[in-house]
Amino acid sequence: MKLDWRYWSQRSCRYLPLVLTMAIIGLCNTGLLSTAHAQAPEADQLGSLVEAGEVGDESAASLLPAPSPQRSDYPTIGVSSRGIVWVVAQMHLFFGALVLAVPIFVLVIELIGFKTGDDRYDDMAHEFMKVSLTAYAITALFGGTLALSLFLLYPDLMTYLMRAFGSQVLVYAGLFFLESMLLYIYYYGWNALRYGNRKWIHLTLGLLLNVVGSTLLFVANSWTTFMMAPSGVDPATGAIIGNIWEVMKGPLWNPLNLHRFIANVAFGGAVVGAYAAFKFLSAKNLEEKAHYDWMGYSSNFISILAFLPLPFAGYWLMAEIYAYSQQMGILAMGGILAWLFVVQAVLICTILLAGNFYLWTGMARSEGSERYRWAIKYIATVLILGFLVWVTPHNVIYTASEMIRLGGGNHPVLGPLGIMPAKNIAVFLMLLCTFLSFQLYRRADKVITVSWQDWGNALMACIYIVAIANIIFAGIYYGYFTNTVYKVGSSVIQVMSTVVVIVSGVVIDTLMFKGAKNLHVSWGKVSDRSQYALFALPITFTWLMALMGYVRSSVRTHWHVYTVMQDNSPDNFIPTLQTVGNMVTLVTLLFLAFLLFIFWIANLSGTRQLPPLAAARSPAMAGSGT
Amino acid sequence: MEAKEGIGNSRRILIWIVSISVTLAVFYLMDQMVMGMQGLPLGWDLSPAQ
Repeated sequence: MKLDWRYWSQRSCRYLPLVLTMAIIGLCNTGLLSTAHAQAPEADQLGSLVEAGEVGDESAASLLPAPSPQRSDYPTIGVSSRGIVWVVAQMHLFFGALVLAVPIFVLVIELIGFKTGDDRYDDMAHEFMKVSLTAYAITALFGGTLALSLFLLYPDLMTYLMRAFGSQVLVYAGLFFLESMLLYIYYYGWNALRYGNRKWIHLTLGLLLNVVGSTLLFVANSWTTFMMAPSGVDPATGAIIGNIWEVMKGPLWNPLNLHRFIANVAFGGAVVGAYAAFKFLSAKNLEEKAHYDWMGYSSNFISILAFLPLPFAGYWLMAEIYAYSQQMGILAMGGILAWLFVVQAVLICTILLAGNFYLWTGMARSEGSERYRWAIKYIATVLILGFLVWVTPHNVIYTASEMIRLGGGNHPVLGPLGIMPAKNIAVFLMLLCTFLSFQLYRRADKVITVSWQDWGNALMACIYIVAIANIIFAGIYYGYFTNTVYKVGSSVIQVMSTVVVIVSGVVIDTLMFKGAKNLHVSWGKVSDRSQYALFALPITFTWLMALMGYVRSSVRTHWHVYTVMQDNSPDNFIPTLQTVGNMVTLVTLLFLAFLLFIFWIANLSGTRQLPPLAAARSPAMAGSGT
Repeated sequence: MEAKEGIGNSRRILIWIVSISVTLAVFYLMDQMVMGMQGLPLGWDLSPAQ
């Protein structure tokens, strides 16, 4: 029997991604666990002995308590230390989110391109990576600046964090090196590893890049969540008594991991969408316009699809914050920071309105969209009503005469709209409407031919009707007419109703689209207005991330590490909302300025100057030719 | 012709009745299950049982 090595090499290449990923995960786990096992008995033993009072003074002293720096221990450089760290950390987070997110959906797009044999997907994925690559160096620069700023301005805090995380920070540095190498090989090897078996190797590199990138994210998240909800420490003294795994896996770690992972994808999709819009508006011919129109559509699709489950992850994170510390939860959503949630509502509604508007205008590309145009006005009405309900505050600061005229502290009609049950109804209906826009958009260029289409359409319509009724019923009945426990519990019904619609919508549509007749889509023939919606998305996402990132960090109040290491710096107070607004706007504008620079650089790399002879023949084209 | 239309209408009504019944049943059971799993049982009429 002759051994066909080509056949076997092809087969083995297909399993390469899986085998390598499993090997890396295995190695990481072995490394992490072996470190944990090596440290665990000693730390556990000491901790329990200290608690039992069976350890001598000498041993107890070896468990260093958390530092208690005084005001004079904080170096000052004439500018607010918090302000510097705020700006630099936020910029690092923006760019970090972008460079970690883009390879995730690039890999999926590349795989789709490989499976369908459509080179357009491959080219688009490659171009997305170009944006990400330029941002990568800036991410590293801000990361280095952040580390230096923290060591310079908050030396005691950094000493404590280094003690808590120990050699894990070197693992982080190692992962960063690996990430850099994989990123460069993945991008620059794109055309060298484009077809056949080599493509499998390239896809494997993409997968490894994402595994390493996500691990980096999760490691960095553990530092953040340790400061919010420390674990593996003695609550009385702040001494580190747990091993590295116990320090990492605090109660907020996984909720934050999930929330940041999804949010990063939504943010990354929005940023590359703005790049596509930028290129669309500056395109010289219809072919270019068609390419960037399609690229913008794909980016918006990724961004909004990732955005839809984000409120559920955010809900989980807030629920865990409440469960960890009610004081923290109430400060965030019931105290001064609650006002920022009203601003958040405005920003999220802007994202939903922009995303929907883009889909509605984009439907004009297909002749088949006429069948669904009638629904847009109803979707728009629900979105606007939902927006109005969501931004209605519960308590407004009134004067005495205003309160007399109003007959109390709350408005008699609008008051009930200020609390969570009304807002939950608004949020979930807006999410459903956005998904409906998606479904109509996807159906606009198809004529369904399956024999059971009547059943499929009726079932889908009924799922929408019953889910909407269920969300309104749960919000009103349990929210206003039962006790608080049922009120809070019923929000899970609303989450599940929304999830059922999204999942069943994807499944039913996928099955119904089998054998469907595709209508002509005129890519590139879309209004310029729709492209401005693509610009609105990253601007709003950036603002939102800066705002809610501040809320998450600010709930620690006057603690560096919540309840174990106090902040005695001159900035150990919650700033005014005006200051917050200014800072959030400043970092947003700064990021957008850097983003324009990145777009310009990405554009520059594709520009080629014409030779002097050709330029002399065609003066109009001198200096620019692609 | 009229008989065919009548059959078509009856089929459409049947599809809608079956679809809405199945969907209502699924969501009713989901509500019961989701609240029950949180330790918040509901009565048959979806009112709090505690």
